[in-house]
Amino acid sequence: MNLKVTFKVLGALILFLSCAFLLPVPLGVVDADGTHWALLMAALVGALAGGTVLYVCGDAKPELGHREGFAVVTLGWALFGIVGALPYYFAEATPTFIDAVFESLSGFTTTGATILTDIEALPRSLHLWRALTHWMGGMGIIVLSLAILPMLGVGGMQLFKAEVPGPTTDRLSPRIQDTAKLLWGVYVGLTAVEIVLLMFGGMDWFDATCHAFATMATGGFSTKNASVAGFNSAYIDYVITLFMFLAGVNFALHYAWLAGKPLRMFKNEEFRWYTIIAVAATLILMIANWGTAYDTIGENFRYSIFQAVSILTTTGFGTADYELWPYLCQVLLVLLMFIGGSAGSTGGGAKVSRMVLIVKHATVQMWRLIHPRGVRRVKLDGRAVPEEVLQSILGFFALYLAVIGIASLVMGGLGVEPVTAVASVIASIGNIGPGLGGVGPTDNYAHLPQLGKVVLSFCMLMGRLEIFTVLALWYPGFWRR
Amino acid sequence: MRVIVVGAGEVGYHTAHRLSIEGHEVVVVEADRRRLSEIEERINVMGVEGSGAHAETLEAAGVRSCGLFIAVTDIDEVNIVACLLAREYNVPTKIARVKAMGSGSTNPLLSAHKLGIEMIINPLDAVAQDIVNIAAHSSALEIAEFADGRILFVGYPVAEDNPLCGVTISELGDLGVVYPFVMTAITRNGATIIPRGEDTVEAGDHVFLLLRKDDHPSVRYMLGFEHEHVKRMMVLGGGDIGYRVARHFEKNKLRVTVVDPDDATCDRLAEQLDSAMVLKAPIIDVATLTSEGIGLSDVVVAVSGDEERNILAALLAKKNGASRALCLVDTPDYVSLAPSLGIDACVSPRLSTANAILKYVRRGDILSVATVEENQAEVIEFLVSGEMPFIGKKLKDLSFPTGAIIGAIVTDERIEIASGDTVMHEGDRVVVFAVPESIVAVEAFFGVA
Repeated sequence: MNLKVTFKVLGALILFLSCAFLLPVPLGVVDADGTHWALLMAALVGALAGGTVLYVCGDAKPELGHREGFAVVTLGWALFGIVGALPYYFAEATPTFIDAVFESLSGFTTTGATILTDIEALPRSLHLWRALTHWMGGMGIIVLSLAILPMLGVGGMQLFKAEVPGPTTDRLSPRIQDTAKLLWGVYVGLTAVEIVLLMFGGMDWFDATCHAFATMATGGFSTKNASVAGFNSAYIDYVITLFMFLAGVNFALHYAWLAGKPLRMFKNEEFRWYTIIAVAATLILMIANWGTAYDTIGENFRYSIFQAVSILTTTGFGTADYELWPYLCQVLLVLLMFIGGSAGSTGGGAKVSRMVLIVKHATVQMWRLIHPRGVRRVKLDGRAVPEEVLQSILGFFALYLAVIGIASLVMGGLGVEPVTAVASVIASIGNIGPGLGGVGPTDNYAHLPQLGKVVLSFCMLMGRLEIFTVLALWYPGFWRR
Repeated sequence: MRVIVVGAGEVGYHTAHRLSIEGHEVVVVEADRRRLSEIEERINVMGVEGSGAHAETLEAAGVRSCGLFIAVTDIDEVNIVACLLAREYNVPTKIARVKAMGSGSTNPLLSAHKLGIEMIINPLDAVAQDIVNIAAHSSALEIAEFADGRILFVGYPVAEDNPLCGVTISELGDLGVVYPFVMTAITRNGATIIPRGEDTVEAGDHVFLLLRKDDHPSVRYMLGFEHEHVKRMMVLGGGDIGYRVARHFEKNKLRVTVVDPDDATCDRLAEQLDSAMVLKAPIIDVATLTSEGIGLSDVVVAVSGDEERNILAALLAKKNGASRALCLVDTPDYVSLAPSLGIDACVSPRLSTANAILKYVRRGDILSVATVEENQAEVIEFLVSGEMPFIGKKLKDLSFPTGAIIGAIVTDERIEIASGDTVMHEGDRVVVFAVPESIVAVEAFFGVA
């Protein structure tokens, strides 16, 4: 374990984050609400801390191994959460520092759970910062750094693999920096298109930008207390539904499509399953809601597809209070929380490809009972999936469920009511945001105990970095030289 | 025409043998003196000792006046170099046997065309194609298509309870009024007969018919040849040939099971095949194969690398209820064993390769070719061109070479199954069935040089 290079990279990341604090400053100046001082203070603190570490560890050899990669990613994300909380804290927008860290991590991990009770009271510059944390965290702040900072070139694949979600990672270009640039290029492009489309629907540039950032990152922070329902526009609902769906697709497929290979998308098995799940979930919601929650087919479709896609992609925007829907719908939405988006997308959850592979793996096990001498491989896209990838998926599920179990126990121990305890953990580790009970689509996380917020922050981090990366740091011997 | 065959292995032997029977001057080039003297003793060819990759040897074999150059040694590189040399001597037609490249090869970097070789033949492709053709048609022995698939050439075994037993050919002709067909050949005890009016069909014969594809189900029903669609098949042996066969039938939506005893082979098959089931078991493991449904299989194909085991596996498959069993054998002498053992067909890579080469050699005015029962006869398609003396005359008034029979006349609009009153016109395509000794005479009849 080379601590020096780990700290050197971390220092650079913090310095880089400090620059991001400057982006919302002009808005604070224009609105004259004093938040620009909070942002500048945060930038100063970040720059001093990052600069000092970088100066002290500047002579480290730029070689990142496996373990350094895991440490950089996990510690880096934790630090983003803490340093990114400074603007809220200095502007006194949140009651405690823990609340500020929760809000900041919820942003970076694209969870979208908030502890703010009156969102509309937040100054515009801090809204923009909230949306920016989503947007940077969505495609991955380390992937962004890879694209921009040349010093991360060596060993960059370690960082890339640790941060980009999914069981396997596509490389779009031989050089990892170029891959990072391509992914970010697609991301920026789609975000820009969504901003324009939302402005056509009557949003001002500020709301359009914040919502586009939150959509493409599958985050879920809105500038309204009532989330997207606050705009009460079918056009805006459908535009956001479409872009939530697109954000849950593997960005390598978006790249192929933009590079003139549109059919690659439909040949991709994960994309097909992702589409099937979204369509099937919408249909089931519509059938259950028929005659109970909605009377016209248009309304039924509009609200059913929005909630289905919002939860499946782990965005967490809301246009309807699904806690008023039939129980079938609520259970279905909780199940969707486990699935999540596609590998290589900005969505959270366990990922569609992992779900598909685990079901196929189970099918093969049953098949082997009937054909004891049979030889069969689990395939995705017609290609056999290596045994070690399947093993790691099984391990992932075991840990995923174990973390949900332990964290729910702790939440219960802190006195949180059972449905809220379990739902808040599932919604946090899946990076969704709204859950059920006390953390339903119309509620927020403010009322939870402080220690519970720490537990949930940890869950959000584990969900975003797909558990292994985070837990590896606790493995005995990880820090040994 | 002077033909040079490089390599006196099984493929070379059979190709040279067939071409010499048909009256060509065949020179065989072979580095192994013993093999060379053996082939000179057994068939009517001249031997030249030396490597086909040396210009001096080829000159000695008379490459300057050579019209057809066939390189079929076991070594790809020698075959390619020999053909490249032949190209420098301006030999018009060059054929190379190359295991690493096939006609189906999609690698555009190095193709037959780029090498300037007319035909590259991969023995695996040839034998896999033969197996697929035989396996795909239940109960039929041979199936070949002519005239863009509008005419079929099919062979059937005549069972003891078949209504055809004891019927003469002229009696059969009366049947052909409704659904016309021509019985072109009967093979009996290993000999091929071109049947005439008074010949009778007997149990145990194999009969070969030419008919319109559309009439095939009706004729088959009329003549009492049962037909089941092939739905389930089992491939024993998962090597290159087994994989190709399994892949073909899997694509055609059959239920395919592939059996191989080797771990790595099974892993590779499971990776490359989609719907086919892969079993890791010895190909003669009766208990496992029975529980996996060998008895319900419509056809079992034994294609492992061990020919004796293939024969055993095919026999066991038949014994345990498989409808049909084919097996791959390497020793050409084993091919003729099949009927006496009760195996439906034996296929040999070398014979398949030799046949594929012969088919290629006969193109030109001859449009396509199919071979019947290990080279004993051929079906050839000719184009009627120019001012031939027989144009406009009825078939019964012509003196057509013995050992050959006209099966069908094909024009752009219609297909006529030949009868005595049929008349040929310029531009017609004629499907002819002939034994090898008559092929030169038939070619002369149609004016093919």
